[in-house]
Amino acid sequence: MDLNIKRKSTKTVITGSLLETYPHDLQMYKIPPTEEIPLQEFETLALERLTLLRSLATATTLKGFRPFSDEWKEYIQSDLRNQGLKYYAKLCEYTKCGTDADLHARRKDHIAHFILRLAYCRNEELRRWFVARELELFKMRFMTMNSEAVDTFFRLNNLSYTNISEEEKLEIISCLRESTPYQNIDNMKFYKVKFYEVLDLVRSRKVFLNGGYAFIPHRDFVSVLSAQFRTHLRQSLAVACHHLGEIEQDERLVCLLKGLHQSYTGADYADTKAVVPIESLDSLSAKSYPLCMRQLHEQLRLSHHLRHGGRLQYGLFLKGIGVTLEDSLRFWREEFTKIMDLDKFEKQYSYNVRYNYGKEGSKRNYSPFSCLRIINETVGPGDCHGCPYRHCDVSNLKNKLQGYGVDPQAISEIVDTSKKGHFQVACSKYFDTIHNVDLGLGINHPNQFFEESQKLLKGEIKVEIKKENKINLKKEALDDLDFDDDL
Amino acid sequence: MVGHYDENLLSDMLPLYYTKYFPQNIFCRWLCCGCSPQPLSNRELSFTLADDVYLRYLSISDQKELQTLFQKKCPHKLDIGAVYNTKPSIARHDSVVLARELVFDIDLTDYDEVRTCCKEAKVCEKCWKFMVIACEIIDKALKDDFGFQNILWVFSGRRGIHCWVSDYEARVLDSPGRGAVADYLCLIMGGDNQNKKVNLGNDNLHTSIRRALDIIDKYFEEILQDQEFFSTNDGLKAFLKQIPDDNLRSQTEKKLEKLPESSLERWRNFISLYETYCRENGFAVRKIKYLVEEIKVQYCYPRLDVNVTKGFNHLLKSPFSIHPKTGKVSVVFKPTNARKMKLSDVPTIQSLLDDSTADSTEHQNNMKTSVKIFQEVVFSLEKAEAMRRKADANMSLEF
Repeated sequence: MDLNIKRKSTKTVITGSLLETYPHDLQMYKIPPTEEIPLQEFETLALERLTLLRSLATATTLKGFRPFSDEWKEYIQSDLRNQGLKYYAKLCEYTKCGTDADLHARRKDHIAHFILRLAYCRNEELRRWFVARELELFKMRFMTMNSEAVDTFFRLNNLSYTNISEEEKLEIISCLRESTPYQNIDNMKFYKVKFYEVLDLVRSRKVFLNGGYAFIPHRDFVSVLSAQFRTHLRQSLAVACHHLGEIEQDERLVCLLKGLHQSYTGADYADTKAVVPIESLDSLSAKSYPLCMRQLHEQLRLSHHLRHGGRLQYGLFLKGIGVTLEDSLRFWREEFTKIMDLDKFEKQYSYNVRYNYGKEGSKRNYSPFSCLRIINETVGPGDCHGCPYRHCDVSNLKNKLQGYGVDPQAISEIVDTSKKGHFQVACSKYFDTIHNVDLGLGINHPNQFFEESQKLLKGEIKVEIKKENKINLKKEALDDLDFDDDL
Repeated sequence: MVGHYDENLLSDMLPLYYTKYFPQNIFCRWLCCGCSPQPLSNRELSFTLADDVYLRYLSISDQKELQTLFQKKCPHKLDIGAVYNTKPSIARHDSVVLARELVFDIDLTDYDEVRTCCKEAKVCEKCWKFMVIACEIIDKALKDDFGFQNILWVFSGRRGIHCWVSDYEARVLDSPGRGAVADYLCLIMGGDNQNKKVNLGNDNLHTSIRRALDIIDKYFEEILQDQEFFSTNDGLKAFLKQIPDDNLRSQTEKKLEKLPESSLERWRNFISLYETYCRENGFAVRKIKYLVEEIKVQYCYPRLDVNVTKGFNHLLKSPFSIHPKTGKVSVVFKPTNARKMKLSDVPTIQSLLDDSTADSTEHQNNMKTSVKIFQEVVFSLEKAEAMRRKADANMSLEF
C-alpha cells in the first residue's frame, strides 16, 4: 500500500455512493482504500482473498489444469462456492452489475487486495508468488468480460488506442496471417503498440513484429493490460516494503500480517543443521536423490565436469542437504582435477563453490533451487541440469529409469505423467517407486524430496510422515509453478 | 600464424598496442553514448591482469584516464559492464544498474553436438560459416522486427561473435524485456538429454522463422557438404533420433544406410522419402508438418547464450581487446561482410607490432578497416543520440 498516496488522498475521501467509487467489476487497484474498517473485517477479508489466491494456485499445480482453460475456471468457480466465497465467484464471472451485493463485492475485492499487498511485500519470493496469482486473477477476469464491459473498462482507465488503417493492414496482411495465432484475421482490427508492452506475446512468438512495434488484435490487449498491471503492482509492493516499518508500529496488525504469509511459506533450505559427509554421496544419490540431482551426480562422476547451470543447481542442493563448504570444495576439486590441473580449478571454479556458500561476491546465502526454479531453467546444448521430467526426451527418460531398475509399470506411469506436463507429480511417483511406498507427496523442492526420503529410510514412523504430507500441501501454495512471472 | 604467438610476451607487447592501435578516442565516444544521460564514469570496466587477477568495478571519466589505466595495469583482457547510478567503484552496495547495451553472445562450443570439423576451442573456416549464418539472422531480426539501428558486431577473439545493440530503447530495456527478446530469437532448446531440440508446432510458421529459414537455405547444402552431418554412423544415428514418427524413422534408416556416405545425397533422399510419406499418410502429417525445417534449424540456426542477453549486468569482452589465448584482436566487422571474413585475416597483436611477420601489412590494413567500421557505427549512434536528446528537450518544453 502506498502510504504516501494514502495520506494525500485522505483529504479527498470519496464520499459518493459505492457505484461512483466502484464503477467497474475489474480494477487496476491504483488508489488505496481510505475508509476505516474494524479489525475483525480486516482479518476476514485478508483470509478470504488468500483462499481465493490459493484456489488459483491449486487449480494449476495440484489439479494440473492448464491456466485459463475451461476446466481450470470451472474448478476455481466450484472451489470458491464450496469455500463460501460466493462473492468472489460472482466477481470472477463478471456481473452485469447493479445490485448492492455486487457493489459490496467490489469493495471487498479492493480492500482485500491492498491488505495482502502488506502481507506479501516482505521479500522477493512472497512478492513473486503474490504478483503471479493476482495476475492470473486479473487475466481470468478480463478474459470473461464481454466487449461492452471491455470498452467501459478502457474508458474508465483512460486507455485509448487507435487501430491501424485498412491500407496499412493490407500491406502486412500476409505477415499478420502468418504470425498471429487466430483465424479470421481479415475481419479483425489491428492495433500498433511498442514491442515491450506485450512481452509475453513476443516471448512466445505469437505476434507480428515490425520496426519495434507489435501488431495486435483487440483480444490481445489483455497482454498490454496485464503487463501494466504487473509493473504497477511490482512497484507498489516495493514501495509498501519501504513503509513496513511504519505499519509495524501497530502491533495488532503485525501479528496478523506476519501470520498470514508465514503459514504458507515453504522452507527454503538455505540453512541446514545436518552434516552429510561427501563419502556417502554415491550411495545417497541412488537412495535419496530426486532424479534431477541423481543425473547431475552421475554426470559429474562420469565426465568429471559440469557446466555452469549444473554446478549451480547441484552445488546448492549439496549445501542444502548438509555438505559443508570444506567438503564441497574437496568434492568438486577431486572430480574436476581428474581432467584439469589444480591451478585451473582453484582459479576458475573454487570461486563459484565459495560463492554458493555466500563467501564471495555479494555474499548472499543462496537458497537451493526449488522445483519451480529448476523447471523454468534455461537448458542449452551441453547442459544436463534442469528437471528431467521436463528437459528429457521420452526415450531418454525411459532408458534412464530402466537403467535404475525401476519397475516397467511405474516407468510408463512416470513417463505419461511428465508427458502431460505434470512434472512434480511425476517426481512424486518416482519417490513412491524407489521407496516402495504410496505416499503421493507434493514434491516442490529437491531438498524436500531428500529429507522425506531420509526420514523414511531412517524409519521415523509413518504417522509422522502423513502429518508432514499435510503441511506440504499447504506449502504448495507458495512454491508452485508460475510460468507467468519473472521469466 | 598462431604458432608465432607467445602468451608470455603479452605483457611486453600490450602497452604499445594500447597506445598505438587501440582506438581509444572512438572507444570512449562509443561508451559515452552508451551511458548517456549518465556520465561515462558510471560505466563499469573490468580488467583481467596477468596470472588471472581480476579487477572489477573500474571506471574512467575520459580518454586520458583510460590511457593511464592501460599503462598502469596493462590488462590482458578488457570487459565492459553496465551503467550504474553512481560511479561503480564507490557505494557498490546500494548501486542500481540503469542501462546496458542489449548484448548477444554466440559461441562455437555450443555447436559441438553438430559440427564435425572441430571441437571445443578449435575453429576453422568450415565451422565459421555457422557464425556467418548466426550473424545474418540475428542482425536482420534486430533491425526488421525490433527496429534497432545501432548494432555493433565484434569477433570475440577465438571462436565466437558478440553483438552490441546501443539504441536507447535497447539500453534501458529491463530484465524481463531482455528475456523476451532472447526467447523470441531462441529456437533451439534443451540439453544433452533431448535429441530433438526444435519444435515449430503445426500452425503457420512465424514470419521471423520463415525469414531465418530463407537465410539458412542459402548455406544449408554447402554446410552439409562441409560438415558431412550424416555420413558417420553416429551422425546418422543422431539425425534419425530427430524423426519423431516411428514408421518414417525406420524407413529412413533402411534407405540411408544403403546409400553412399555423402550427406547431401542422404539428405536429398530423406526429403523425397518424407514428401512421399506425407502424401501417403495424410493423418500423420500434423505431427511432422515442419520436420524438414526443424532439422535445418537444429543444425544451422544461431545458438545463443541466452544468459548473457538476459542478464542486465553481464560483463562482455570489449571490442579491440586482445584475446589472451590466441593473441587475436576482437575486431569489429560489418554483418554484410561476415561471409567474406576469413579467420586468417584477423590481425593479431604480434602481426601488428612486428613488421617482419608475413601478414603484417595486410593485417595492419585490416585493423584500419575495422577501426573505420567502428567509427561509422559510433558516428551514427552519436547522431541518433543527438536527435533523441533534441526530441526529449522539445517534449519537456511542451509541458
